[in-house]
Amino acid sequence: MKKIRCYIPNVLLTFLLVFFLLAAQLTIFVKAQALNPRIFRQITAEENLADKAYDSLEDYFKSRTNATGIPTEVYMDVITHEAIRTAMDQSVTTAFDYLNGKTDTYEFSMDFTDLEASIESFFSAYAEENNVQKDQVYEDKVASVITEAEAKITFVTDTFKFSTMYENGWLETARKVVSYLNLATVLCVVAAVILFILLIVCNLRQLEHLLYWSGLAGSISSLLMLLPCIYVTSTDYFSGFAIKDPQIFAAVVGYLRRLVSGVTTMEIVTLIVSVICFAAFGFFCALRREEAEEKS
Amino acid sequence: MADVKKKKGAGVLVYILTGVFLLILCTAVSAVALIKPYEKVQTYLNIIFMDDMKIVPSTGLDGLVIKENEIKTEEAPEESLSDTGEIIRPSFGEQYAVLKCDAIGLNVPVYWGSNKELLERGACQTTSSKVMGDAGNAVISAHVNTFFKNLEQAKVGDTFVIYTNYGIFTYEAAELVTFENTDKTWVVPTEDQRLTLYTCKQQVLGTSTTRVGVVCRLIDQKYYTKPVTDDAMGEGAAE
Repeated sequence: MKKIRCYIPNVLLTFLLVFFLLAAQLTIFVKAQALNPRIFRQITAEENLADKAYDSLEDYFKSRTNATGIPTEVYMDVITHEAIRTAMDQSVTTAFDYLNGKTDTYEFSMDFTDLEASIESFFSAYAEENNVQKDQVYEDKVASVITEAEAKITFVTDTFKFSTMYENGWLETARKVVSYLNLATVLCVVAAVILFILLIVCNLRQLEHLLYWSGLAGSISSLLMLLPCIYVTSTDYFSGFAIKDPQIFAAVVGYLRRLVSGVTTMEIVTLIVSVICFAAFGFFCALRREEAEEKS
Repeated sequence: MADVKKKKGAGVLVYILTGVFLLILCTAVSAVALIKPYEKVQTYLNIIFMDDMKIVPSTGLDGLVIKENEIKTEEAPEESLSDTGEIIRPSFGEQYAVLKCDAIGLNVPVYWGSNKELLERGACQTTSSKVMGDAGNAVISAHVNTFFKNLEQAKVGDTFVIYTNYGIFTYEAAELVTFENTDKTWVVPTEDQRLTLYTCKQQVLGTSTTRVGVVCRLIDQKYYTKPVTDDAMGEGAAE
């Protein structure tokens, strides 16, 4: 009867601990990995996103030559890999400044001085060669070509699609979530610690049982996360991503794979710790039994 | 001694069963809690990760299968043609027709689907429009500096012929139209069987937002009694 009185609270506390442990792990993971600008920069470098974006722009302006009559060189001679890399880095910084509440709006802009000069110079040379009058129509045309080119470059450079997320209000929602993330992390960690203390209280007389219950909570919470991660990895689920623009695909799929790999690592570590707890529990139980046998 | 062993075995069993019970309970609770949110996002997930072939792109062409077909454009004997027949539906990226108009010197391949790679190869028919032979609006576009450079010279009454591997469709230009790229009046589905051809308005430099087009009405359609397939007619090349 005494054992049952102890057993039921242990089961209940372990059950709750599974979910609070999971929540604490996930909130810490989101803060440290998912919403860490360093991860975005690493993906940009590892996946060569700047080179992919450059190739994509070159491809685009080449294909547009047929429709616009403007040679690719007018654009590509002034766009460098380094400029794209810097712009990508800047877009990540701007997005996280907004997410962390340092700025009120997400406003990402690139320096297009060279591009504007190149387009103006090309149009001017063309107008002089073909005796085209530099009137308002001419000015409007130059302005529209510049606007269109700048919009395209900004779109391609923003590989993580922060602008689209901002326009759709998703970045604003994420900003609200981020503002509560620290509080949520603290609450989940505190709740998990309280539950753990209660487990200690319940098992004060046989402290080795604490190893069993905490190992159980750890192993179940890790299995709950590991199974979906194993499914997603083994089926190569993210490769089914519908947008096949090389730089967007590499950015999004690279990011998602990084998250899954991070969660998998974290949960494998939890599982190993849990297995160690079980092993220690078995060891201490055997030790206690031997002592009891010696006494009797 | 046997009692101790029995007690020990029962204790181990309880520990194992408790673990299994808690695992099942937690999995069940998680599953129940996630059913509603999953139902909400399932459609979006299916759309976002819809590529079952799981193609990892390295260029903009990846995932696009372009198929070139040899299309017969010479006169066919009367006995090989019929007023009715079966439409062969093309796949995205397949060249399924040839568009000819002697009045403006037009002779271009027509691809099913539209993107920048296909527009470099010929005229493109938007997949939301009707295949030749189906009732409705068949909408074909191409670049003004390449395949449709003479489209603006078309006049009402000019004849446009579409050759496919399953039939020949003859249209007559009924109306010349000019519209803004945001205006969808001429590219939306219609009740009548018509052909709409359009391109950008020719200008010296830069992209035009104005489109010029020709709306044609069907005057004749003939189907081959035996569909002309790749095996019979020519080679298919996949890229």
